Amino acid sequence: MDFMTALEIGASGLSAERTHLNVISMNLANVNTTRTPEGGPYRRKSVVFQSTPLDSPFTKAMRSELEREVKGVKVSGVVTDQRPFKRVYDPGHPDADGQGYVSLPDINVVEEMANMMTALRTYEANAATISSAKTMFNKALELGR
Amino acid sequence: MKSLFGSHIHLQGKVLDMRLERQNVVAGNLANIKTPGYKARSLEFEEDLQRALGLDARGKMTRTSPDHLPAEFDARKFSADFIKDLKPRVVQGEDAVDLDKEMTTMAKNTLLYNTLITTLQKNFEGLKTVITEGGR
Repeated sequence: MDFMTALEIGASGLSAERTHLNVISMNLANVNTTRTPEGGPYRRKSVVFQSTPLDSPFTKAMRSELEREVKGVKVSGVVTDQRPFKRVYDPGHPDADGQGYVSLPDINVVEEMANMMTALRTYEANAATISSAKTMFNKALELGR
Repeated sequence: MKSLFGSHIHLQGKVLDMRLERQNVVAGNLANIKTPGYKARSLEFEEDLQRALGLDARGKMTRTSPDHLPAEFDARKFSADFIKDLKPRVVQGEDAVDLDKEMTTMAKNTLLYNTLITTLQKNFEGLKTVITEGGR
């Protein structure tokens, strides 16, 4: 176990949070989207986080139990939310149905903003672990002076 | 055994290792803060280390005679306890890591690490002074 472990874990967290932010901004951008390549209105997406070992199976076998237990994180998938569409009365809309209702994605802007703040703070926490590990690294290097 | 480097240097090296491992454990917790079902891990060594050093608060072992069995600290035989928190705090099914706790642990850990490095540095500086001044 070395310094690079802390940096790699931090990096895995940063990259996972960035993916999360991408998905959140995709949701916010598509808040009124009624047409998608798959057909129908846009469906809200969310990410699934999964803890992941940091290295190849070989190095994993060579390491101690403790080192195997310390894990990074990754986004294991982007899942489509199956919540029902919001039906809004708008007869002038080109995608309105016979009764004049339009199906819009049920995206709650407040919910997305709250998720965005969480992603931001988690990103910051991971950045803090990296800078902390860097401080320790530089300090250890001072021993060799 | 008196030599160029006292036994404390092994102890300091060991503690630095432990602190580094703790940093890794905390980084892992923080990265997995939103992973569903993840349980926070922690690394505990201070109390065991105190015990291993024979300086436990419940009564320390003193050698009253140099012929007694030495209870000297052996850095190679010491290791930390790795603890998985079995009771995660579940908020909306995913928040099993206490952010405040982890950040504090990390800050404390970094400060203590840096302090230890500084004392090691001073130790080496002292040795150097003895060597250079003694040669004059």
